[in-house]
Amino acid sequence: MRYDIAIIGTGPAGLSAAINSKIRNKNIILFGSKDFSSKLIKAPKVNNYLGFYDITGSELKAQFEKHINVMDIGITNERINNIYAMGDYFALMVNEKMYEANAIIVATGIEYTKPLKGEEEFLGKGVGYCATCDAPLYKGKVVTIIGYNRDAEEEANYVSELAEKLYYIPMYNGSYKLRGNIETVNDRPLEIQGDDRVNKLILKSSEINTDGIFVLKDSVAPSQLVPGLAMEGDHIKVDLDMKTNIKGCFAAGDCTGKPYQYMRAAGQGQVAALSAVAYLDSIE
Amino acid sequence: MVREIKDENFPQTIEESSMPVIVDFWATWCGPCKMLAPVMEEIATELDGKAQFFKLNVDENPVASTQYRISSIPTIMVFKNGNVLETLVGFRPKEAIKSLIEKHI
Repeated sequence: MRYDIAIIGTGPAGLSAAINSKIRNKNIILFGSKDFSSKLIKAPKVNNYLGFYDITGSELKAQFEKHINVMDIGITNERINNIYAMGDYFALMVNEKMYEANAIIVATGIEYTKPLKGEEEFLGKGVGYCATCDAPLYKGKVVTIIGYNRDAEEEANYVSELAEKLYYIPMYNGSYKLRGNIETVNDRPLEIQGDDRVNKLILKSSEINTDGIFVLKDSVAPSQLVPGLAMEGDHIKVDLDMKTNIKGCFAAGDCTGKPYQYMRAAGQGQVAALSAVAYLDSIE
Repeated sequence: MVREIKDENFPQTIEESSMPVIVDFWATWCGPCKMLAPVMEEIATELDGKAQFFKLNVDENPVASTQYRISSIPTIMVFKNGNVLETLVGFRPKEAIKSLIEKHI
């Protein structure tokens, strides 16, 4: 089944987009978490959200929750890996599963892992984000995986079956379930270097000569989430209607720029929803 | 239509065509490649007669994929007179790919 609008993110921008899309009688799916937003529940006091003087973040969260429950809006607690603009619809990938929507609203906030120096420059020239996709291209070569979470270990084990040598750089603490032929390097990566291709990873106190580097993160920049999405620095480029450069793709909240504030986010979510509704009406 | 191209006919295909030649480097195990395939088919239909469209399976054709140093797939290359004019790595929306190709038509 194809949804009218898929909303990615359950902070104030995503929730406001959801309620306004629902009011306009659109068939929506909202991706996010039961906590809505880690920033929201951590806020000790909010005094600049109109109508709610002296409220804590978790109290505000409870109000938001009441609101979407009354409107019968559910949250799909799944992590979207990639969104592909197929032309007249969007394919949203969750591991092996796929959702389809005619329009999307990106409201993912601003907390994503910043790229390493050289990472963007060498993307596709030795740097990749999908180890399982590109591993066979590194048969018999030296590969380095920078892993930000446990899932990366599984990918490392798979790649180690094909690569000549695999270095694993964990960016988290814990015990690692890795095959015996993988060399774990406990050091902080600083920069990716090369000529026309990657050849070296510089770490704080060492260097690794490598043919390929996979950076496997928890959360990626919006331009990785939606390939082809135009950015302006760290933020998604939008116009006053919250349109992005991709037809049918809208964005709202912190991911579109500063100031990072609840009311701005909620306002933009509303504009994005109404723009998405207008877009859907135009293609019918 | 997007046709298959192989190591054997790769060099003459990209050199002998008077039109831009678009090659989509892909493999069966690559998810984004699967998503890109129908997009490329649509573009090929829309630009029929103005450019030639091919796909090359990197598993079965190591010579061409090594020569053009394919390190991530999907990779789309635009050739004219045997030279690489554009390289796109990773999935891209249809309009972005189409306008890039149209620059060379």
